[in-house]
Amino acid sequence: MNENKVEILLVEDNPHDAELTIRALKKANLANRLIHLKDGAEALDFVFAKGAFSERNIESRPKVILLDIKMPKVDGIEVLRQIKSNEITKTIPVVIMTSSKEEQDVITSYNLGVNSYIVKPVEFESFAKAVSELGFYWLITNQCA
Amino acid sequence: MRTKPNRLSLNQLSIHKRLPLLICTLLLSAIVIYGFANYYSLKKASLLIGRERLSSLTGQFSSMFGTSAQSIIKIVETTAAQKEITQYLETGGNAYQKEALNALDKLHRDSSYVSIELLNTELVPILKSDKSSIEIKENIKSLASALHVGHDLGKVGRIYNVKGVLYYPVIAAVTDKKSITGYIIFWKLLQANPKSVAQLSQLVGTGAGFYIGNTDGSIWTDLVKQVKNVPSDATKNHKALEYTGTDGLRMLANVQPIAHTDWLIMVSFPEHVVLKGMIDFVKWSVIIGLVLMAVGAFAAWVTSHNITRPLNQLTATAAAISQGDYAVSSSGDLYRNDEFGQLARVFDLMTNQVFRMHQDLEKKVAERTSQLENVNRELEAFSYSVSHDLRTPLRAINGYSIMLKEDYDEKLDDEGRRIIRNILTNAKMMGQLIDDLLAFSRLGKKDLAFANVDMKMLAKTVVDELLTLEPGNKYSVAISSLPPANADPTMIKQVWMNLLSNAIKYSSKKDRPEIEIGFKEGESGVTYYVKDNGAGFDMAYSNKLFGVFQRLHSQDEFEGSGVGLALVKRIIEKHKGEIIAEAAEGKGATFYFRF
Repeated sequence: MNENKVEILLVEDNPHDAELTIRALKKANLANRLIHLKDGAEALDFVFAKGAFSERNIESRPKVILLDIKMPKVDGIEVLRQIKSNEITKTIPVVIMTSSKEEQDVITSYNLGVNSYIVKPVEFESFAKAVSELGFYWLITNQCA
Repeated sequence: MRTKPNRLSLNQLSIHKRLPLLICTLLLSAIVIYGFANYYSLKKASLLIGRERLSSLTGQFSSMFGTSAQSIIKIVETTAAQKEITQYLETGGNAYQKEALNALDKLHRDSSYVSIELLNTELVPILKSDKSSIEIKENIKSLASALHVGHDLGKVGRIYNVKGVLYYPVIAAVTDKKSITGYIIFWKLLQANPKSVAQLSQLVGTGAGFYIGNTDGSIWTDLVKQVKNVPSDATKNHKALEYTGTDGLRMLANVQPIAHTDWLIMVSFPEHVVLKGMIDFVKWSVIIGLVLMAVGAFAAWVTSHNITRPLNQLTATAAAISQGDYAVSSSGDLYRNDEFGQLARVFDLMTNQVFRMHQDLEKKVAERTSQLENVNRELEAFSYSVSHDLRTPLRAINGYSIMLKEDYDEKLDDEGRRIIRNILTNAKMMGQLIDDLLAFSRLGKKDLAFANVDMKMLAKTVVDELLTLEPGNKYSVAISSLPPANADPTMIKQVWMNLLSNAIKYSSKKDRPEIEIGFKEGESGVTYYVKDNGAGFDMAYSNKLFGVFQRLHSQDEFEGSGVGLALVKRIIEKHKGEIIAEAAEGKGATFYFRF
């Protein structure tokens, strides 16, 4: 992992889901600068350059954060809330990628300012396609702040 | 079922009116019957008593007159035994005439003696007193024939009317101790002092009549003058009779013979006088009866009111309770000591009991509802968990299988590849199953949100969505102008989705798959249908069609979880409608639904 400029922050507690996601991104040549963290607490430490990541430059923002909701310690919604309520970090595009299609989660996320909400499909092909399209869009097409 | 009688029936009147009415009728009939019975029996008794009284009175008068007659006869008999008379008659009227005349003249005691005569054995008058004022020539043969030596020697004869005045003879036979030598006859005026007659009448009673007459009824007198108002049958019966007098009054009379005479005495009495007492009695008893009836009716009315008022009160209370108002009570009646008081108290108890039970029930229902709500929530959490948590490992199975296929393809043989393919197929199926199951279970807890649904547009949208996934455009779909429906749009979209995806799926093997979406108008509303010319199914198994996980084709022929139609049926039934399927093997199927 290249710590100089992280482009994708993947926050996913399930190692299998993580592996599949990374594989899909790799296939699309978008995984060069990707960091995978396993829970919300670590994610917050990274984003706000705290704890284990206190030597990071907080201004060095990733191009996109791929965020799962159901995680131990701090869940995705809470991470989203904190990211979007901080002046420095709120411009980072956050894409929630989750198995949950619960309307409440969707509404809450959008209310908190999530940029996109994706429900992980079961079939791998669809999943891989979604991830690579996602990655392509946020890394290449989209203009970051 | 209660029938209403057409004519006025007693049962239709309220008890309030019925009771007094009944009592009145009862009392009235009692009074009427009593009155009539009284009247007739008392009348009979009064008449009987009257007649008896009359009879004894008449008898007394008869014997009184009889005695008088007897004394007159005695006088005449004594006269007949006078020497002058006997001497004269013995000589056949030839000697002692002056003496006889003298004797005869002395016999005119008072003005009532109008003529005294001596007769010979042939009843020819041979000597008449000088003081005789009248000449009476009547046939007295029968009178004389009644006299015999050794028996009656004197008799009072019948009454004679001479020139408007009434006389009667008293005859005595003159004998020489062996045989009759001649007769002496006294003619007397039949008249009494009006004052004494009036007194006598008054003795009998007001309105009474008092008559003396001949036994053949030829002449009747009231002792003052001859009277004509005595009925003709007063001769034959020596008994009681009734007649209507000349003044129209009904009279009772008694006729009896006067001994020693040829006379009858009749005493008559107006009937109304006899009946007066009885009529007064009946009149008064009817009046009292009517008064009692009025009192009785009033008492009955009051009693009935006392019965119906608490009844009505109770009815009103019951009505209020049936409307849900438990606050009413029977108030005043609670404190009575009689049956109604008991009823009111028990009713109150019952009301309280019902109220408490009602409250208990409400509490139980609330408890059950909250229990059910809890269960529902748990179920929701469960299905959410099922869908969410089952999907994650499924995704992994899927992903890794593909990874295996992609990364190790050249290292695998056909068998290996086949195995991986099977893993993938099954994982895909499981995903579909989870989705279907979740949709099916979510359906249960959702409430329908009714709206006006444009069925044509909805069907078209679903068709377009589904056909985008199908390569080529071999499907020909015809949609008629479906009328709008009042339903939950999301759910109906699911219905169209499932039916149309089925139609597409099962007709996919045909060269020219045709799908028709239409509607039929009927009396129970609009019936929509989806018709395809695909594989169809055997109608013998049609009852399995809508079962959960029930399929009529194998996975090799057509893939599917078997939940789709079950979902459709459940949605339609939630809209209180129904769905029917018709098909023929190989010829296609039509699904009709309405709600």
